[in-house]
Amino acid sequence: MGKGSARALALALAVILACSDVAVVTAQETERIEGSAGDVLEDDPVGRLKVYVYDLPSKYNKKLLKKDPRCLNHMFAAEIFMHRFLLSSAVRTFNPEEADWFYTPVYTTCDLTPKGLPLPFKSPRMMRSAIQLIATNWPYWNRSEGADHFFVTPHDFGACFHYQEEKAIGRGILPLLQRATLVQTFGQKNHVCLKDGSITIPPYAPPQKMQTHLIPPDTPRSIFVYFRGLFYDTGNDPEGGYYARGARASVWENFKNNPLFDISTDHPPTYYEDMQRSVFCLCPLGWAPWSPRLVEAVVFGCIPVIIADDIVLPFADAIPWEEIGVFVAEDDVPQLDSILTSIPTDVVLRKQRLLANPSMKQAMLFPQPAQPGDAFHQILNGLARKLPHGSNVFLKPGERALNWTAGPPGDLKPW
Amino acid sequence: MKSLLPRSELRRSSAAAVRSSAGGAAGGDGAVADGGGAGPRAPASSTFWFLLHALCCLISLFLGFRFSRLLFFMLFSTTALYHSTSSSSSAAVLRATTTTTTTTTTTTTTTNTFTLSFAAANTPPSGPANRTALEAAAEADKAAASGNPQSHVVVGRHGIRIRPWPHPDPVEVMRAHGIMERVQEEQRRWYGVKEPRQVLAVTPTYSRAFQALHLTGLLHSLRNVPYPLTWIVVEAGGTTNATASMLARSGLTVVHIPFPDRMPTEWADRHATENRMRLHALRVIRERKMDGVVVFADDSNVHSMELFDEVQKVQWMGAVSIGILAHTGTADQLRLSEEDKQNMPLPVQGPACNSSGHLAGWHTFNSLPFSGKTATVVGEAAPVLPRGLEWAGFVLNSRMLWKEAEGKPDWVKDLDAVGENGEEIENPLTLLNDPSSVEPLGNCGKKVLLWWLRVEARADSKFPQGWVIEPPLEVVVPAKRTPWPETTPELPSELLDDKQKLEDRHLSRGNKSSQPRGTTKRKGDPQGQDN
Amino acid sequence: MGTGAVAVAAPDRAKQRRAGGHLWKKALLHFSLCFVMGFFTGFAPSSSSSWKSAAATPQHHPPHRPGDRLAASRVAVDARATLSPPAEAADALSAGATVDLGDDEEDAAQRRLLIVVTTTRSGPGERRRRRGELLRLAHTLRLVRPPVVWVVVEPAADAPATAEVLRGTGVMYRHLAFKPEDNFTTADAEAHVQRNAALAHVEKHRLAGVLHFADAAGVYDVGFFEQIRQIEAFGTWPVATMSAGEKKVVVEGPLCSASKVVGWFSRDFNDGTTRSVTYNTEADLNPAGAAGTRAHTIDVSGFAFNSSILWDPERWGRPTSLPDTSQDSIKFVQEVLLEDRAKLKGIPSDCSQIMVWQYSVPSSR
Repeated sequence: MGKGSARALALALAVILACSDVAVVTAQETERIEGSAGDVLEDDPVGRLKVYVYDLPSKYNKKLLKKDPRCLNHMFAAEIFMHRFLLSSAVRTFNPEEADWFYTPVYTTCDLTPKGLPLPFKSPRMMRSAIQLIATNWPYWNRSEGADHFFVTPHDFGACFHYQEEKAIGRGILPLLQRATLVQTFGQKNHVCLKDGSITIPPYAPPQKMQTHLIPPDTPRSIFVYFRGLFYDTGNDPEGGYYARGARASVWENFKNNPLFDISTDHPPTYYEDMQRSVFCLCPLGWAPWSPRLVEAVVFGCIPVIIADDIVLPFADAIPWEEIGVFVAEDDVPQLDSILTSIPTDVVLRKQRLLANPSMKQAMLFPQPAQPGDAFHQILNGLARKLPHGSNVFLKPGERALNWTAGPPGDLKPW
Repeated sequence: MKSLLPRSELRRSSAAAVRSSAGGAAGGDGAVADGGGAGPRAPASSTFWFLLHALCCLISLFLGFRFSRLLFFMLFSTTALYHSTSSSSSAAVLRATTTTTTTTTTTTTTTNTFTLSFAAANTPPSGPANRTALEAAAEADKAAASGNPQSHVVVGRHGIRIRPWPHPDPVEVMRAHGIMERVQEEQRRWYGVKEPRQVLAVTPTYSRAFQALHLTGLLHSLRNVPYPLTWIVVEAGGTTNATASMLARSGLTVVHIPFPDRMPTEWADRHATENRMRLHALRVIRERKMDGVVVFADDSNVHSMELFDEVQKVQWMGAVSIGILAHTGTADQLRLSEEDKQNMPLPVQGPACNSSGHLAGWHTFNSLPFSGKTATVVGEAAPVLPRGLEWAGFVLNSRMLWKEAEGKPDWVKDLDAVGENGEEIENPLTLLNDPSSVEPLGNCGKKVLLWWLRVEARADSKFPQGWVIEPPLEVVVPAKRTPWPETTPELPSELLDDKQKLEDRHLSRGNKSSQPRGTTKRKGDPQGQDN
Repeated sequence: MGTGAVAVAAPDRAKQRRAGGHLWKKALLHFSLCFVMGFFTGFAPSSSSSWKSAAATPQHHPPHRPGDRLAASRVAVDARATLSPPAEAADALSAGATVDLGDDEEDAAQRRLLIVVTTTRSGPGERRRRRGELLRLAHTLRLVRPPVVWVVVEPAADAPATAEVLRGTGVMYRHLAFKPEDNFTTADAEAHVQRNAALAHVEKHRLAGVLHFADAAGVYDVGFFEQIRQIEAFGTWPVATMSAGEKKVVVEGPLCSASKVVGWFSRDFNDGTTRSVTYNTEADLNPAGAAGTRAHTIDVSGFAFNSSILWDPERWGRPTSLPDTSQDSIKFVQEVLLEDRAKLKGIPSDCSQIMVWQYSVPSSR
């Protein structure tokens, strides 16, 4: 022990000596995520709010989907299913005058590469075009400049509309959406792409498919840690260190030789079943802090090990993430084995008991048709909790808050 | 590296080392008298100079040591463990790392392969790649600098943190297994049977070549059963020590019952005898008023743990589906085309349900392809097939065997009225007046819960007692080369080989005639280069 | 770093110069010698244990950063300082119905990882038997004290059905779905490719433990697995093979003397013949003599080895470049096994107890 600490001390000394220009930085300050009891999950939003759905030309939504039906299956598909849900929802109103919230059905992520990856390059212009349309055809946008409107923007970095974080940060949230409420998968504290008042939702995971892979809950959990996915994104990040901020690479390098860590890049056909026989499922960040693994882990009762500093988790005000998951700082990845093995067994069992709660699973899914307590309802609950609107929502006559000419010139071109 | 001491001690001990080495050098030199050698000065100052010298030596030593460690450290972690905020420093670290990596990997190949592989994975071997990495880093830093100050996300390249100790801590591994064990136990508690009944496993067995193989497999399965279990083993021809010692080692609650008759060698007779043995076990259960669920676990069958969960549900008598692992063998080859063999599903014997989930009939084994090709004698090289309904496919509540039990249905015969006159009890349905009351288990028999297998060697096969090869082994060695092997005389290798060849040839002549064609699992052939 | 050393040495040097020119030269020489010495001592040891303790220690007491992280993980790290398991866990362990975990951790820490590799055959009869056989082996492995990793290699098409059987057993297994590139003409060729696939997995993951190829058709005594845990490098034991439907019981394996393998034997218990090869102790050192023994191969059911030979051959005194381990690892292992007889351990110590049984079915050819 003594020698160890002495050595470590000396090591640190040597490092400082060698490269005196290296500032040793401790990890950034983090806050505790607000958690609360899961009873909010049972809330019924019906009667607590009214939503008006703008009737947009189908080129903003249905035609895009017709062009590429794959949009229904990728993890950003929530924007489509939310639209479908609202059309037949009990909270929908056809009288815009009595509406609490306005929804603009625009499928900004439904532009896929041949490989099925969503491209966000046209999204800003499309969004701008849609907003221009509703602002000219209806009086409600101009009355609040979007403060009582919500948009579903499930892209990597939400309404920043770029998949590279640097570029996304450089762009910032689309200026026209500065006042609107954004419903997005992206969630990271103190990030330009997450504005106050946004609702963080789970990514879309196919509910029927998951249902068919359910195995009996008494199947003994015989994997300690499970992960399937990339460790290095050699295509986009050939030298490593950018992708997942190095955390996934660190998981591989430190734990590939650990028999307790069933980790690999291969995606087996039994992926969902294997999650159901695992105790811990790693949910490290990728290019963005969130991933569908969060949803899969909760649905399959595998304790999510969340490795993404400052992540804002879906429905964090309703789902007690802290109680059901394990949070490991990106810096602490090399100690992942120690961290997980030293969690008291009682705590592990408790987390598993909580995960077995069906309302938690329900809140993570977008089922067709919608069911009480599902993710759609949680979004509505979130919107209802923001009511009544504050005094700052509606502008005084003649007051203007948005700058229609802000943003990169490319975004200002017509769609 | 004697750094197993705390640092202060390390310093002291290396100071001593330095001192002695300095002394040695001085002795060799002759010109300088005492270590530092500031002779004419006052002793105090001489000591001071000496100490200063030693201290500086020590510092050099320490720095050298640390320097090498640093190299090591960097190799391990590239930009690891600490990431920098300022743009210039991150590039600097990166640069330092890439250069050290390229220069030192060649010299440190022996130190650790872990290092090498990592270096290879992350540092592309070509120079231009390194340059692009640096440029990318610089670019990223620029981007970060120009980024919105509100975000405190560090955009850009991060170190890949790799701990210097390469392998998992065994204590932690054990703790993880403890957690998993506990989780599984808890799963059983949540989802399993709340008040489990005892399982009474009835096994007819007898001493033979395949007994150890079969019984060991069954024993392991039974040890995994998560319910209280009593194993009733009926042994034909009386109890033997070999069986008893195996049972004793199992750690299970065992009732070992002798059965007077020897096991006959014909399959038909063996089936009949086994049935009588099972009946004997049932009578013991009745006598001792053992309470639980009776499972007929034949020693050569394989049971899934789900079976034992399912049998907990049985009210009086239940039936499960059995997969028949008839090694179809030669009959198969004769009668079935290659395609048929590929597509032939696992034959299943078990209950069939009607739409309302009640017993409608029985799936039986189709023995048509085997007609005339089945084994009649135990150990014959032909398929062994189940006869009618196998006992293994039935489970019963032991209370239905009791003379008196609460709620015992009237469609159950009294055990005393069954098989008393020596007639064969083909299957447990004979115990009932109304076989339609049998409860189909395992998703109405759709799920195969155990596998039925009959493999035996010829009845007269010899095998080592207790599977211990008695020492001394009868090793056939050339007469002149005894005692064996320590005092083997030095022989030219050719001679030795020749002798072995002779010896092998001699042996294999006697052997090959008896060697069958079918042994695919021939092991380490000790015939040397004779092959 | 270099600048640091010079900076420290500089004032010292200045003082020494006053004392005499040759003195500071000498001093400088001493310093540089010391530096070099230190440099190399730094390189030399790299014993994993010392590294480990050096690096692991800080983790025992992580610096409490401002804005402490989420309670769960932080508590977890702190709890690491106490090495004893929580009391209730210990209770549960001793109460565990199947696996005996109740022994103290120190003993457990000595236990090597067992890597049990099971390959599958795709003949029609064997495919039907596969689930039952895997289940039986799984029950045995479930009784072996952890850590055990079971690697099951299977053609991808059959894997999902088998996975259903495997996951019910509670054994920690890894299912390598393997895509047959060509139709195998013989069962041996298929097994060979599958074994290599398993070894490639072990190699890629650098799993460290005792590796054994366990045939699902074989039956193992539970004690056997505890025995092979003792293997440092290579181990071998007698295996009984019985032929269904025949009068044939053959035991083959090593001849041992105090765990040392001194030869090989094969004994048929029914015709009473025994064949054997014994090693000439002198021939051990003689390459020509060793050649004679090299010609015979050892079946995979009869040996286990330390898996680090696959990914760290240098540790075993073998040049990395010589055998292309990724191509035909199993052959490589078999060769190494017979060449490095000194490292071969007989199991159990006198190799007389049979703990592995196999049977062959005449028609399976």
